[in-house]
Amino acid sequence: MSGDDDSNGWQLTESDPGVFSELLKTLGVPLIVDDLYSLDPDSLASLQPLHALIFLFKWVSTTSEGMSGNYDPEFPGFFAHQVVNNACATLAVLNALGNIPALKSGSQLTQLLEFTSGMDPQTRGLVVTSSDWLREAHNSLSPPSAISLDGLGLPKQTEEAYHFVVYLPFMGFVYELDGLKPHPIRHGSYHETGEGWLSRAREVIENRIATYSPEALDFSLLALRDDPLPSIQTELSDLQAAGRQAEAAELVVKLEGETSKRNRWNFENSLRRHNHVGLVHSLLVALAKAGRLEPAKESAKSIMKERISKAKMKGETMDES
Amino acid sequence: MAHSTLLAFKAGRGFRREGTNFVDPSPTKGAILLRKEEDLLHLVWKNRATNEVEEDLILFPSDATFSKVSQGSGRVYVLKFSSSDQRHFFWMQDASSERDDEFVNNVNGFLMDPDYEASWGSSSQPEASTSTAGASSSSVPSNFQATPEQLAQLQQLLSSAVGAGAAAPSEMSLNDILTPANITPLFTSHPDLIPTLFPHLPPDLPMPPSPEVVQRIISSPQFRSSVSSFDQALRTGLLGGLVRGLGLPEEAGTGIEPFLRAIQRQADQEGEDSMDTD
Repeated sequence: MSGDDDSNGWQLTESDPGVFSELLKTLGVPLIVDDLYSLDPDSLASLQPLHALIFLFKWVSTTSEGMSGNYDPEFPGFFAHQVVNNACATLAVLNALGNIPALKSGSQLTQLLEFTSGMDPQTRGLVVTSSDWLREAHNSLSPPSAISLDGLGLPKQTEEAYHFVVYLPFMGFVYELDGLKPHPIRHGSYHETGEGWLSRAREVIENRIATYSPEALDFSLLALRDDPLPSIQTELSDLQAAGRQAEAAELVVKLEGETSKRNRWNFENSLRRHNHVGLVHSLLVALAKAGRLEPAKESAKSIMKERISKAKMKGETMDES
Repeated sequence: MAHSTLLAFKAGRGFRREGTNFVDPSPTKGAILLRKEEDLLHLVWKNRATNEVEEDLILFPSDATFSKVSQGSGRVYVLKFSSSDQRHFFWMQDASSERDDEFVNNVNGFLMDPDYEASWGSSSQPEASTSTAGASSSSVPSNFQATPEQLAQLQQLLSSAVGAGAAAPSEMSLNDILTPANITPLFTSHPDLIPTLFPHLPPDLPMPPSPEVVQRIISSPQFRSSVSSFDQALRTGLLGGLVRGLGLPEEAGTGIEPFLRAIQRQADQEGEDSMDTD
């Protein structure tokens, strides 16, 4: 008997670009997800080709946002309802991937998208959520559940649920895909020139952010884009072959930035998948052998005392979170 | 699975302190149930906070006895087997000790003979030790089968307990012990201890193990979050099974302090054995 009653075996994952990008790799899709720190034209331009924007925020009981845009029950693309809360990140990714034309993907994802074509959003959501291989791919970035200390009745101290909303272009309009809403929402149309759909998307998202009071919302933006690594590498060898050293040097810097980012993602993902209990134990044994465990305990005790008295002064309760 | 509950009473478990004759009671609220399943007698210990069965012992006729542990003032009992060295310690958790003898006598009766006919005193409900006043005692059958009313009461007894997650507050947190400030000095003072950590690092790290990598891992949010989870789990007192996998005694899984004490003992032992560690 494990954790969430309604989790159906889907574990809660971190909403981190490294986690998303690893999932995309598993799905056989040549895209990555990057943090987006700004919606200004230059930032967005540097991430092209850019396929979708993902807006994620800690769920707040809704300040009634007058809805902008209109429900489109006739939306002919891919839209699935969020049926299991823990699956929300993967579901958002699918709602994006399912609407990217000519997307290269692994056979399992291709088959899933084909199989669900023509289904209503609720059924699609159920099919997606009961897909074993997809759930395993999703769960592969948390520690194996047998040792994740589930079932001990611990209060859930993992990340509070983030909610994910996808913005992307489809057939000339900017659409908002929110797995908790009944239908996709169609925002305005856009011109193919210049920034294209991004200028419309920026407007919609900025308006949305403006309706929340600053304290009420904790959000971030992610960009779903082509993996730039292959093309950087190709361009670099071309430039070097053509003897264009200055441009090549610039590109080398860019390449190093991308590569170190991937190394960081790989490092963090290997930590996410790992059961650290053995390491915790061996670190404590090492401290004990070095005679350092007792002093460490004493200092930990006084740190705790200080923490508790500070919290009391602030009037908080010391309930662990 | 058809089974009938012959009797039940509130009891906690106790664990022998390694190398001594002391038994430390585990604070976890639980209950002992004697059940008959397909003609076999089971002694079951259930955790009242999680409602999970954590111990399920099959008892053959005359194989085991349930006796009071004479030293100490507590109401501690030991289940002893003639067929093995197994010892299971329990302590009575009902506020009143009035019915201790009655329960124990009936337990031993069943341990001798699964077809034993329990005998209960003239007061309240026989099969569940509740502290509430009794209902009618007039038509209590001597060969006891729980009535639906009594089973409902038993269910209530077993589920009404400390809520899940209400772990004992600890005076220290593992995250404050496993800090870079505490670990990093080991790299220079005890460099031979560092390779003992390497087998426990993630197997798919994108770089080879090294002190720098260990340091990076200890400072990472993923590791710190794991430590917090483990800390919290330890404080529920339920990790007896898990810590045995680390070569520690079961009572090391009952809290932070017992865990750390057991680790110090383990470290001292390994030092004495002067065998190369892994």
